Amino acid sequence: MDVIDWLRANIAVPVLVFLGVFFVSLWLRRLIYNALERWLKERNTEIGRIVVSATRGPFLHWLLILGAYIAIQVSVLTPRWKSDSGIILASIFIAYLGWILIRLGRDLVQLYLNKAKVPQRAITVTTNIIQVAIIVIGILILLELWRAPTTPILIAAIAVIVIAILALRDIFPSLVSGLQLTQQKQIKAGDCIRLESGEEGRVEEITWRNTQIKTLDGSIIIIPNTRLMQTTIINYGKQPKVAKEPFQFSTRLHLKELTGLNARNLSQLVSRLNEVPDAVVYYHTHSFVEEYQFLTPEPTNDFALWVQDALGYDILAERLASIDTFEFPTIGTLRQMVVGVIRDFLAQTSNEREAPLGNEFHFIKSISVVLPTPYVAHDLREFVGILRRISIGSLFFHIFEAKLRLQRGTNDFSLWLEDCLGEQELAEQITRLDPYNYTMENLREIIISLCEKRL
Amino acid sequence: MNPKTNVKDYEPIVGKSYIEELRMLASRLSGKTILNINSTFVGGGVAEILSRLVPLLNQLGVDVRWQVIPGEAQFFKVTKKFHNALHGKEEPISNDDFSLFLETTEKNLNQIDFSGDILFIHDPQPVALIAKKNDIGKEWVWRCHIDISQPDSKVWEFLKQFVVNYDAGVFSSPNFAQELPIRQFFAPPSIDPLSEKNKELPPEAVETVLAKYGLNPDKPLILQVSRFDRLKDPLGVIKAFELVRKNFACQLVLAGGTASDDPESEEVLTEVKERAGTNPDIHILDILPGSDIDINALQMAATIIMQKSLREGFALTITEALWKAKPVVASAVGGIPLQVKDKLTGLLCHSIEGAAYALRQILANPDYGRWLGRNGKEHVRQHFLITREIRDYMLIFLTLERKEDIIYL
Repeated sequence: MDVIDWLRANIAVPVLVFLGVFFVSLWLRRLIYNALERWLKERNTEIGRIVVSATRGPFLHWLLILGAYIAIQVSVLTPRWKSDSGIILASIFIAYLGWILIRLGRDLVQLYLNKAKVPQRAITVTTNIIQVAIIVIGILILLELWRAPTTPILIAAIAVIVIAILALRDIFPSLVSGLQLTQQKQIKAGDCIRLESGEEGRVEEITWRNTQIKTLDGSIIIIPNTRLMQTTIINYGKQPKVAKEPFQFSTRLHLKELTGLNARNLSQLVSRLNEVPDAVVYYHTHSFVEEYQFLTPEPTNDFALWVQDALGYDILAERLASIDTFEFPTIGTLRQMVVGVIRDFLAQTSNEREAPLGNEFHFIKSISVVLPTPYVAHDLREFVGILRRISIGSLFFHIFEAKLRLQRGTNDFSLWLEDCLGEQELAEQITRLDPYNYTMENLREIIISLCEKRL
Repeated sequence: MNPKTNVKDYEPIVGKSYIEELRMLASRLSGKTILNINSTFVGGGVAEILSRLVPLLNQLGVDVRWQVIPGEAQFFKVTKKFHNALHGKEEPISNDDFSLFLETTEKNLNQIDFSGDILFIHDPQPVALIAKKNDIGKEWVWRCHIDISQPDSKVWEFLKQFVVNYDAGVFSSPNFAQELPIRQFFAPPSIDPLSEKNKELPPEAVETVLAKYGLNPDKPLILQVSRFDRLKDPLGVIKAFELVRKNFACQLVLAGGTASDDPESEEVLTEVKERAGTNPDIHILDILPGSDIDINALQMAATIIMQKSLREGFALTITEALWKAKPVVASAVGGIPLQVKDKLTGLLCHSIEGAAYALRQILANPDYGRWLGRNGKEHVRQHFLITREIRDYMLIFLTLERKEDIIYL
């Protein structure tokens, strides 16, 4: 009987209180979580689903801890025991809450950053930072509960944070920039981009610190994300149609070989012209285009200039200057035309003039030295980008030498555009351009402009 | 050359693609050694070009070396006579002179270390070193920097016996090509836009130099920069200036120096000073070698730059003037017309009166002068900068054994 009375007096009340809280908790959890699930169904939010699923079980446990706490408080235990038990229960609650927050934080960060296509390395770093922060805060609260000194730990934590910030000062801006770049979808792997500073190429990879770009000459450049965020980027988007065969840009450097042959009058000029190799005729019909790029070129040739300056035959000079080099498929036919015009003139001239001493016509031979460049275009976008940066020598080779000297019928660009990219119209537009009527830089701009219209 | 100058520093001037092409060529010369041989390390255009060209080629990775032939003063007196005779000037050259030339060459053949794959020999002084080819083989290129369009036949025939044994010759103008059984390339010389003589100077530096030489900064300045040499016609310049000065307030500066291989220059300097007399607007400046900043400042301060040479190889002083966007009045001789396209990049003249007329045209029409100057600068950028000369030489070295018109490297 005494035992029953003792139990009734000392245990029954706390047990009843605990059981009451337990049943209320069950009822409350059902009420709250059912309402939340209904709300989630309407909203269809992934974040809410994670929060609900992570807290559904622990919610009951937390209320049970609360129930245990209230039960102890209404029990007959001494105040000292009550206080110590309260601290233990609070510690359990804080540890449990911290654990749940860490799980929740990890899941939410992964969800958010994965959606933003942030590299896995950045996700791991962010998750670790959050975990450490929750653990540190939890430990500080526990120490406070147990009345342990927290100042040294606070100082140590601040020191660690400062050191971490200093060590990672370059990483954070890059990380943030990387997040911005990917979240705002300004650029993504596979995009063709051009920076304000002139770098151009295809985005290979965006890491949490850098973006790797494969440039037009095939090299990889690594640009910090912070720099990318601060510069103007032209994003051309995805790679356009890929050519069947890439276009390998070559460059042509030239040497001038002196033949030692010269002429002082028209008869000598014609006679020599018939003897000299094609490379000599080529030189004297193209040197003006090549050498006076700062002046608007006239469609002229060295023969016309010499006939006018050294011999003073204005009419013949005009006839020679009006020979349209663009019309001729081979140097041989061009040579025949020049010789024919001079012969026609000679047939009507009785007294030939002699050039003053020192003003003879010197026959020069053009030696072309052709080298492959690192530039290879796989599509029209790359082709335009490379056109912007190749040398005048490269442009000259593919436009002038390809057609007349290598007798390819037209320029190399048109051939590739038609055969490898199926761009017949664009190829034809470039074929129709008479390159002898433009400066080399103008020619470059016109071809770029035609290609860009197509893009 | 400024030791800090790097090939990359030329990118803003000639463009990135140009420098890329230089590197491409240099990589193909890897493993070959090129030995330059000339007659002096200081003074004159050849030494100046080599002092810049050699380090730049080395930076590009090409093993280029430079040696100078030793010789007594008497030897250089003879080679100076050769130089004048090749320019077409009458010179009393005796058989003893030829003998002295051969004797010195013989000594040099035993003294010089000919280690290199390509021997690049500059001008007539070391031309006879080709005799060594029979012993050591290798490829030999003769670089002729002077005007040999109308050479004294006796001297040319003497030198020709050596020249024909070379694998190739390089000339500064098509006019200089001769009937030779060897390949002849055309490669005009060049200037270095980053050198002390050609870099952009601040206005204060220019003013300081004008004050140093007692020149009036407010009076139009006509300038000729060249060694005191009769072939540069300094007396003709004074006469042309006197014709112009009748109608235009202006001042003339004849700025020159001497080279160790030119014993005649002191004599000419005295003559010029006498001819200038006490005219306060004629300034004869004997500028010491190495005073490049002074020359640069004078060229920058000039209103018109003249080069009234009677014979001329190329005249780098014109290139320097054009690079500073100055209107140039020059004689239509030697390699000058390659740089000065009449009425496009400057004005050409054939006489003292013609020079005076051209000076008047520019003094009366400053805008015309500026237009000529701008064109001249672009012309130099494309054809007469050191980057182009380096490129030409590398191309020659790479194609010595190739005879095709289109060579794929």
